[in-house]
Amino acid sequence: MTGSGEKRWHVTERESGLWAPSRRGLVMGAGGVVAAGTLAACGGGSAPAPSGGDTSAAGTPKKGGNFRLGVTGGGSKDMMDGQNIVTKPDQARLVTAFETLLEFDDNYQLQSTGLAESVEADSPTQYTIKLRDGITFQNGKPLTADDVIYSLQRIGTQANGLTGFAATATMDIKNLKKIDAKTVRLPLLSADSTIPQTLASYTFGMVPKGYQAYKGDPSTQIGTGPYKLKSFTPGQQSVHERYDGYWRDSYFDQVTITDFSDSTAQINALKGGNIDAMTDLPANQVNAIKSSGVEALISQTGGWIPICMAIDMAPFDDPKVRQAMRLIIDRQQILDQIGSGYGQIANDLYSPFDAGYNKDLPQREQDIEQAKSLLKSAGKEGLTVDLHTTNGASGMVELASVFASQAKQAGVNITVKNDPNYYGDAYLKLAFSVDFWGTRGYLNQVQQGSLPNSPYNETHWPPKSGEGSNFGDLYKQALAETDDAKRADIQHEMQKAEYDVGGYIIPYFNSLIDAHSSQVQGLKPSKGTLNLAGFGHGFRTIWFA
Amino acid sequence: MRFLRGGGIAGFVIRRVLLGLLVMLLVSIIVFVSTQLLGDPARAILGRDATPDRLAALQKQLNLDSSKVGQYFHWLGGLLSGDLGTSLASSQPVTSVLGARIANSAVLVVLAAVISVPISIAIGSYAALRREKVFDTVSSNLMLVLAALPEFVVAVLLVILLSTNVFHLLPAISPVPPGTHAWDYPDELVMPVATLVIAVAPYVSRIMRASMIEVLESDYVEMARLKGLPERTVLIRHALPNAIGPVFQVIAINLAYLAGGVVVIESVFNYPGIGLALVDAVNNHDIPVVQALAMLIAAVYVVLNLLADVATILVTPRLRTRL
Repeated sequence: MTGSGEKRWHVTERESGLWAPSRRGLVMGAGGVVAAGTLAACGGGSAPAPSGGDTSAAGTPKKGGNFRLGVTGGGSKDMMDGQNIVTKPDQARLVTAFETLLEFDDNYQLQSTGLAESVEADSPTQYTIKLRDGITFQNGKPLTADDVIYSLQRIGTQANGLTGFAATATMDIKNLKKIDAKTVRLPLLSADSTIPQTLASYTFGMVPKGYQAYKGDPSTQIGTGPYKLKSFTPGQQSVHERYDGYWRDSYFDQVTITDFSDSTAQINALKGGNIDAMTDLPANQVNAIKSSGVEALISQTGGWIPICMAIDMAPFDDPKVRQAMRLIIDRQQILDQIGSGYGQIANDLYSPFDAGYNKDLPQREQDIEQAKSLLKSAGKEGLTVDLHTTNGASGMVELASVFASQAKQAGVNITVKNDPNYYGDAYLKLAFSVDFWGTRGYLNQVQQGSLPNSPYNETHWPPKSGEGSNFGDLYKQALAETDDAKRADIQHEMQKAEYDVGGYIIPYFNSLIDAHSSQVQGLKPSKGTLNLAGFGHGFRTIWFA
Repeated sequence: MRFLRGGGIAGFVIRRVLLGLLVMLLVSIIVFVSTQLLGDPARAILGRDATPDRLAALQKQLNLDSSKVGQYFHWLGGLLSGDLGTSLASSQPVTSVLGARIANSAVLVVLAAVISVPISIAIGSYAALRREKVFDTVSSNLMLVLAALPEFVVAVLLVILLSTNVFHLLPAISPVPPGTHAWDYPDELVMPVATLVIAVAPYVSRIMRASMIEVLESDYVEMARLKGLPERTVLIRHALPNAIGPVFQVIAINLAYLAGGVVVIESVFNYPGIGLALVDAVNNHDIPVVQALAMLIAAVYVVLNLLADVATILVTPRLRTRL
């Protein structure tokens, strides 16, 4: 506790002229201010927080009810862990009970509405985390600095094999220091301006000291979130009960998450009133479901399905061949055929919601003649190549097939190899492959997929010489840069290199299409990674009419 | 080969049981060897998230070591003592992962059998009796149509008709929440069972009709009729027992097929049976679960075939007396 029993309101003046007020800050009528390298919070514990988008929150929130969610993609490997997931229902389960220090709003902008009142950069290599007062775990114990230290160290311990481990690379996990009961000092091994984004990732949930993953006893799953685990059968169902001591508002008495093996059953269950919401409605059903008291929720996300060319493997070690491939693809046709038009054309660059996204680079269009002449000058006319894909995310196999047919126009023969064991030994070692990614900030994404030590670097970027060879240095500079404008400049330079000679073909940013009964209120499109607008922001910003 | 004969019906049953056990032993070897080919379960569970650190952590957790032969005998010993090992995907004992699902599948199959067998025998017999009359023509063609419809289509049509679009009489899914039993939700069982009945009935009734027609044309049925026996007695005492032999075989094959888990039906109704469990386990390379289910399904085949053979012999005098 911080001495005074009063709620502390922490406001930091903004330093950078680039700051634009997020809508959430305005809705809350409070000074949620983001300054360079500083996040400071304001806003008590009771904002109903249907955040982001417009202000059309339908009606006054009402308490009560059992919210039944149907999720595909689960199975007997389902788990519950405040910092780890393997399936989609795991994501939904995680956010019922576990919360992060910082949060993203529906526009994918950072907000200090989470467990931390502020996360401030004392210097490029040191952050101070200040916890909000009055937050308790579901066993009644207050959230303290010790829990934060345990949580971050748990993620940062390689042997634990948690989702967020790679993102802790710059954190000096061993030397986390408790300043007082509510304050933690986080030293870094090297400068990293993405720490706030990392701390807002949903796999950075705060768990109580000594916490362990679910192993059969629901009472071990104690978080700070609005719902407490009551029962859980992997592959079938988990039931979550309301936690009355929750620090914000929440509306349901119970949340039930049920696994579905198939979207047909999901849609029938939703139409028949057996569930209240479902994930991943097939795009061709968006209009078909409308008559049945069911609504689709379409969220334009920053998720992407790239075709990946390894820049150090033949034939893609020649930049002209990569360039030709990027000119062969008809992005609009891909979006129409695979995304059913729900999405946004991309320009071979990722992280469209990042403040440093380079919008000035010209949109690449299909140009078969140019592609042919590039292939000719590279000596690769009539190129024949295998494109590896798998049914890892919806659209991956279809993208490969459609691209293969488009490539015929340029005389390129692409053989699609659909391999169920793709994510085994072959992954990341292929010259030409399809993969999938969710929404991330630019530098976080670079850290995950575009550096020599990234866990998922499919394109083997950056090159050792020529344009882009300074990519790693630029990345470090960007991490160390605390000025938003200067950091954006560095990011623009990094993206220019990826745009010119990178290995990704990124046709479009996909939308998440979910569906819910019209009884469910408070759902609005979100740019984040998770379905159903972050599963109704942890099932706390939605309610039954 | 003297010991393969004699002993009457009891001797026959004992021989068949021993043969069944031998089959199960061979199956166990095949199942064990083939499940080794599934590949590294740790990779399958993590999928794309199989980064070296997560992979190493999981492989250590799963204890994927020791020799294959040793593993086989260890597994076989466990199988005989009722210990099926631990699911790799969920870290729960296989018995607790599968227990409820096996019960759910059994409920579905038994209900489908109890309803479909008498109905289809009755329809087939009556159609044979009214051969080429209206009932026979209508029922034969209807059965042909139903046999041609995939179960998936039948299930979806039932859902559209009874729960989502036309009427809202029954729940669209049958999820059987964990900790409860399938029979606690009779309304949820109606559509899955109806689908299975429609899936099985055509085959049984068509074979019943064919078999009955053959018997009705035989000399002894004509003799019985000439003796002046009532048609009812002719049918039930003389024709039915002789006609039903081949039907038992068809019933056994169909039920064994259902017992193997009707993945499509379970998928449409989100019913937690063994079919989906098997698909899931194969996807996860969850070897202990795949092995347990493969052995269970093989055992069901052996037992049902044994029962069908015994039943056929019991009802068919000329087979019975040859033993």
